[in-house]
Amino acid sequence: MLIIDCPYCGPRDQSEFSNGGEAHVKRPDGSAEIGDREWGEYVFIRANPKGIFYERWVHSHGCRKWFNCVRDTSTDEILKIYKIDEERPKLDSFKNNVKTPSGEPNLGSGNFTVKK
Amino acid sequence: MSDLNLTDNKFIQFHQKIGFKFDGVKYYGYKGDTIASALLRNNIKLIGRSFKYHRPRGFYTCGIEEPNALVQIISEYSEPNTRATIKKIYEGMEIESQNRWPSLETDIGSINNMFSPVFPAGFYYKTFMGPHKNFWKKIYEPIIRKAAGLGKPPKEFKAVSTHLYHNVDITIVGGGLNGLIAAKSLIDTKFSVLLIDFDDRLGGILNNSSKVQSVNNQTPMDWISETVKEIENSKNIKILRNTLVTTYNYINHLIAIEDKFVGSRPLKDKVNSTLHKIRTDQVILSNGHIERFLSFQNNDLPGIMLCSSFEKYMCRYGVIPSKETVVFSNNSNSESLVFSLIKKGFKPKAYIDSRSGENIEPDLFDLIRKNDIPLYTNSQIKGAYGNKKLQKILVEDSSGGVNEIKTDFLCLSGGINPDVHLFTQSKGLLDWDEKDLTYKPAQAFQPTITLGSASGQFDFNAINKEINEKLVVFGIKPVQIKLELNTSHKFKIEKLWEVLPQKQTIWSKSFIDLQNDVTTKDIRQAISEGFDRIEHLKRYTTNSMGTDQGKISSINALGIVSDLLDKKVNEVGTTIYRPPYAPLSFAAIAGRNSYEYYDPERKSPIHNWHISNGAVFEDVGQWKRPWYFPINKDETMNDAVQRESKNVRENAGVLDGSTLGKIEIKGKDALAFMNLIYTNSFSKMKPGTSRYALMLGEDGMVKDDGIICKISDEHFIATTTTGGAATVLGCMEEYAQTEWPNLNVYMNSITEQYATFNISGPKTRNIIEKVFPEVNFSNEAFPFMTFQFHEYEDTPIRILRASFTGEMGYEIYVPSNQALKIWEKIISFGKEFGLKPYGTETMHLLRAEKGYIIVGQDTDGSITPLDLGLDWMIGKSKKDFLGKRSLIRSDTVRKDRKQLVGILPTNKNEKLEEGQHIILDKEIKTPTPMLGHITSCYQSPTLGHNFALAVIKNGQSLIGTKAFASTPELKTIEVEIVEPIFYDKENTKLAS
Ligand SMILES: [Zn+2]
Repeated sequence: MLIIDCPYCGPRDQSEFSNGGEAHVKRPDGSAEIGDREWGEYVFIRANPKGIFYERWVHSHGCRKWFNCVRDTSTDEILKIYKIDEERPKLDSFKNNVKTPSGEPNLGSGNFTVKK
Repeated sequence: MSDLNLTDNKFIQFHQKIGFKFDGVKYYGYKGDTIASALLRNNIKLIGRSFKYHRPRGFYTCGIEEPNALVQIISEYSEPNTRATIKKIYEGMEIESQNRWPSLETDIGSINNMFSPVFPAGFYYKTFMGPHKNFWKKIYEPIIRKAAGLGKPPKEFKAVSTHLYHNVDITIVGGGLNGLIAAKSLIDTKFSVLLIDFDDRLGGILNNSSKVQSVNNQTPMDWISETVKEIENSKNIKILRNTLVTTYNYINHLIAIEDKFVGSRPLKDKVNSTLHKIRTDQVILSNGHIERFLSFQNNDLPGIMLCSSFEKYMCRYGVIPSKETVVFSNNSNSESLVFSLIKKGFKPKAYIDSRSGENIEPDLFDLIRKNDIPLYTNSQIKGAYGNKKLQKILVEDSSGGVNEIKTDFLCLSGGINPDVHLFTQSKGLLDWDEKDLTYKPAQAFQPTITLGSASGQFDFNAINKEINEKLVVFGIKPVQIKLELNTSHKFKIEKLWEVLPQKQTIWSKSFIDLQNDVTTKDIRQAISEGFDRIEHLKRYTTNSMGTDQGKISSINALGIVSDLLDKKVNEVGTTIYRPPYAPLSFAAIAGRNSYEYYDPERKSPIHNWHISNGAVFEDVGQWKRPWYFPINKDETMNDAVQRESKNVRENAGVLDGSTLGKIEIKGKDALAFMNLIYTNSFSKMKPGTSRYALMLGEDGMVKDDGIICKISDEHFIATTTTGGAATVLGCMEEYAQTEWPNLNVYMNSITEQYATFNISGPKTRNIIEKVFPEVNFSNEAFPFMTFQFHEYEDTPIRILRASFTGEMGYEIYVPSNQALKIWEKIISFGKEFGLKPYGTETMHLLRAEKGYIIVGQDTDGSITPLDLGLDWMIGKSKKDFLGKRSLIRSDTVRKDRKQLVGILPTNKNEKLEEGQHIILDKEIKTPTPMLGHITSCYQSPTLGHNFALAVIKNGQSLIGTKAFASTPELKTIEVEIVEPIFYDKENTKLAS
């Protein structure tokens, strides 16, 4: 169970929040000029990396505000939380030693046998 | 009785005799006894039958690591799989042994042991995957289900459990020697501390063995009680006793279960257990170590026990399981048992050690020699033999000769493991220690400190140094504990995992997992079949997959595998211990969220009126809605619905629609926002008008519908479906915050603030004019799809002219606290016009007759507005709205999509059912192409026939043709595909 530091309320238990999937997915407008592929990718395709992931959360049982979060999905560490209108932190500001798809970080993944 | 002199035992209240029943026979123990210690006091050594082979089993340990001694507590809702080695007895307790029939002594299932070649490693996999799949269903499964298993699930059950939350700086898990020293050093510091111990007595090894003679020149007992008193008197430390930490989650989140009725019968109306949910900045794991066993032939016989457990029965419970036990060891942990036995006036019948004489602790060697104990060095036990209990053992001595020793008891020690379960749950890294032959915590992932034997630090003389080094982060004063020991301070061990037998027989087995009946032969077989990765091997053999997670044996399995593969143990790796540490009942996890508190119930503000008027309720989400109002107890739902719906069509009816979601939207850009959220265009709407609207997902599928009332360009009120209210509000908030933060718009749920009453039927106007005489309800003053605000006896109300039944109708929005007053007035004024309340079922029938859909019933997340024939609701001139672009995707413009149609059975009385498939052919051949399915169907008294709505492929072009509905009996019903509207196609009633 994570503790998530809501930028408006402070640290709260994960059970107060809902996850909103990948962040920084730009919504194209609904005009017909948008191609099927571009629109389809917006609607259906989301990244699901092992390692550093930019994702959205909403404090649904709290202030009901949306915000962004950088989380290492292989260890569950929350690396950065920032408001919706704040600049996205650069990927190289985080260390990410996971070799996807089957690599494991040395510490924190709990998956011992893969590491050996 | 196997009692020791109890007068010097501080744990057992020997003057308090307690009567309890085991398998129907009454026995006596003392207050403070566990089931195991009380039964051993009565010389009962056979406690249960094993999981697979039904072999007789006894008490192997004296604690939570016990693999065998699981019992059913009849006097506690028949709680199964209770560890007899930790559960304390109380007066009137009733206990039954498990997995035996007809009795523990004579068990028919033990014939499985004779058929054991049938149950080799991978038996289940082979049987499932093999060529004879029917064998499994018809032959194996019925037999195995009867024979295998642990306890029986309780029949009636109502545990009372509660959850408690903690937020502390430091949590110490384990109140043994190290835990107590750590806690003591934190007294009156700035930290808030929780000290948790599973036992009701703190002190751990000081209580359970003779290893330590004195602490700071006090007896261990005196030191413990003084230290505990100091801790209890401190302001910053709280002790939780009888509390087992089962789970160590991410961000130092611990789950612990506290037994509130240790040693007494749980009361029905009191909290029986508390689930503690702990957040802490630092965790100190001082939860000690677990002794391992050894594998040899029949190492499961009753009468075989671990050394430290035997010693704990003596020191802690004042009972000696046998006065003439043999001891077998490969490490120094057995020394303290020998010392304890001699101190109490007994001695081992023989001492067998796999180590050579010079490697045995000198003190132990002297003790053995001085007391004339037969000593076998460089020796191993080849096997144990006996009928339902140990009778003799075979010892291979250093010269290779085999000696037979007659004995009824054998104490074993195969080494010790730090109790790393919680540490690995916390994702800490382990490392193999080749000297101590065990996995030890190496690197913590979270803020975790391990102390004492839990950290793999097995040297008593290093305790001060370790604590001072590791707790320096808390700024504590250095501790200087002086220990006087009875045994050597260091731990020494020589490698031994398994003793190979003289000869194999069917009955004789070397077990590696006692609870799951896995033998060392199974391990060999799995490896020979290629399952040499430890995680594969575990699942293939089920080794360490029991409820004990192989606490006394899983490391031995790694040792055996590493020898077989000729690899180092750390190359073999280890499987992962998973939470919970020990079984945790679902009742404890559920806590108060059970039975009537499982899910909140939401009720309309006039719920009590519905109850007193005999409503039968239906659950809609969390809401309780009146389903129908039977006139007497003999009226069936069908009869009531026929009557209610007829009355709406002929006179008038009123429905409590308060559960509809209501959202108020305000802001300078409210109009622009609403145009983006819904398919419709609200730009040209005049204030005071309303519109039926659809909301789509970005995939173009219908997600919700409702009526939008426009008060002004900056103020709207939207209704949603009863179940969709929270989702719609959440969706609006998401888009307002994340996609269009530039729009000035705010939204709020007002569902609970207003009750909604829908009156409809030809006599509606007569009624409503009587209730609200000052309002002009003429068609000119109050046309269809408009709304007005009025005052009713100082209550502000909103009246909307709309209809979900197809009749002319009005919806009255009333503040919830005034709802009953107005509802009762409508009912009493409407009486002379035949007005009757109706429920959701009638509402469903009426709307289906009119062809109005219900989102979630006639749609399922794969239906677009075009599929529903609702093209007119799409604001085509709008540049954008949710899902707009998806309406021209190749998939959504496909010609053969499922479309909403009406269905009429050719025989008008033929009953249709929701979910029935619509097919083309009268005869069902397999495979039969399916056109679609029925989404709603009803018997209509107004139309005089049964009818349905359905979604079928290319439905709009099939209107006017015949098809068939299939029945579960594979019969077909002839139907006609028609327009999805059956009543008042010209909409004359709505505007009448
Ligand atoms: Zn918040």
